[in-house]
Amino acid sequence: MNQEDWLDRELREAAPYIDDEGFTARVLQQLPAPRRSHDLLRAVILLGMTFLASVLAYVVSGGGRFVNVTLERLAALPVLWILVLALASGLVMAAAGATAAISRSRASLT
Amino acid sequence: MELTDADLVARVLVDDDQHAFGELVRRHQSSVRGLLRQLTRTDVALADDLAQQAFLRAYKNIRSFRGEARFSTWLYRIAYNCFREDARRRKELVGIDEERLQTQHDPQAADPGLRHDLMRALNLLPLHERSAILLCCQNGLSHDEAARVLDIPLGTVKTNVLRGREKLKRMLAD
Repeated sequence: MNQEDWLDRELREAAPYIDDEGFTARVLQQLPAPRRSHDLLRAVILLGMTFLASVLAYVVSGGGRFVNVTLERLAALPVLWILVLALASGLVMAAAGATAAISRSRASLT
Repeated sequence: MELTDADLVARVLVDDDQHAFGELVRRHQSSVRGLLRQLTRTDVALADDLAQQAFLRAYKNIRSFRGEARFSTWLYRIAYNCFREDARRRKELVGIDEERLQTQHDPQAADPGLRHDLMRALNLLPLHERSAILLCCQNGLSHDEAARVLDIPLGTVKTNVLRGREKLKRMLAD
């Protein structure tokens, strides 16, 4: 064994394992509160705003008359067009879901 | 199956899982506290305070961990920065007065069971050489990893390790 190996081995052996003795618990006690509360608050705000916007749109559009008009227009479309529209909507939603899943898994890998 | 450090980091990132972070602390507390004890010359209380600071900082900045280096290397860098900032505050980052240090009370020297000539010799090295020796020889980091931790060029790390080793050998031979 050369002198460098000996020196490295001696240095490693001179640094014994340090028992935790409550160190981890002390660190965990000082961590800031988990983000969950913020996430919940954000969800409540978003849902509330969505609900308010829906009510506002319903009132402004004269009781949601535009929905009936749109449905009537859709019903008047040929079946093939409706199928194409449904397929396109499905593809857009699938692409959006896949993008979100990929970005989430990338974030967890870094 | 035991989760890897990367798995635990992912849990902290995605779910803000503090238990996962606790496991990371448990895994690395010994090496981080050990490194800081050597850097602070066996000032256990100061080393543990700095280690706590380092882990808290790691938790707050975990999003900046890109997984390019090992988690332990990233952690050593934070710990070393905590030590350096504290040393600057205490104005101790200047060179070491070896004569003064030799006459200081050394807790290891008081106990013959713990007295290691090697550790005493290590404590006499200047900070830049001591840090490089601790990281590369004691904690098994590559020169490249040590350069990242210490934020100095690779060549400087190699020189510091070489010089530190030579000095240690000389001191032990005396």
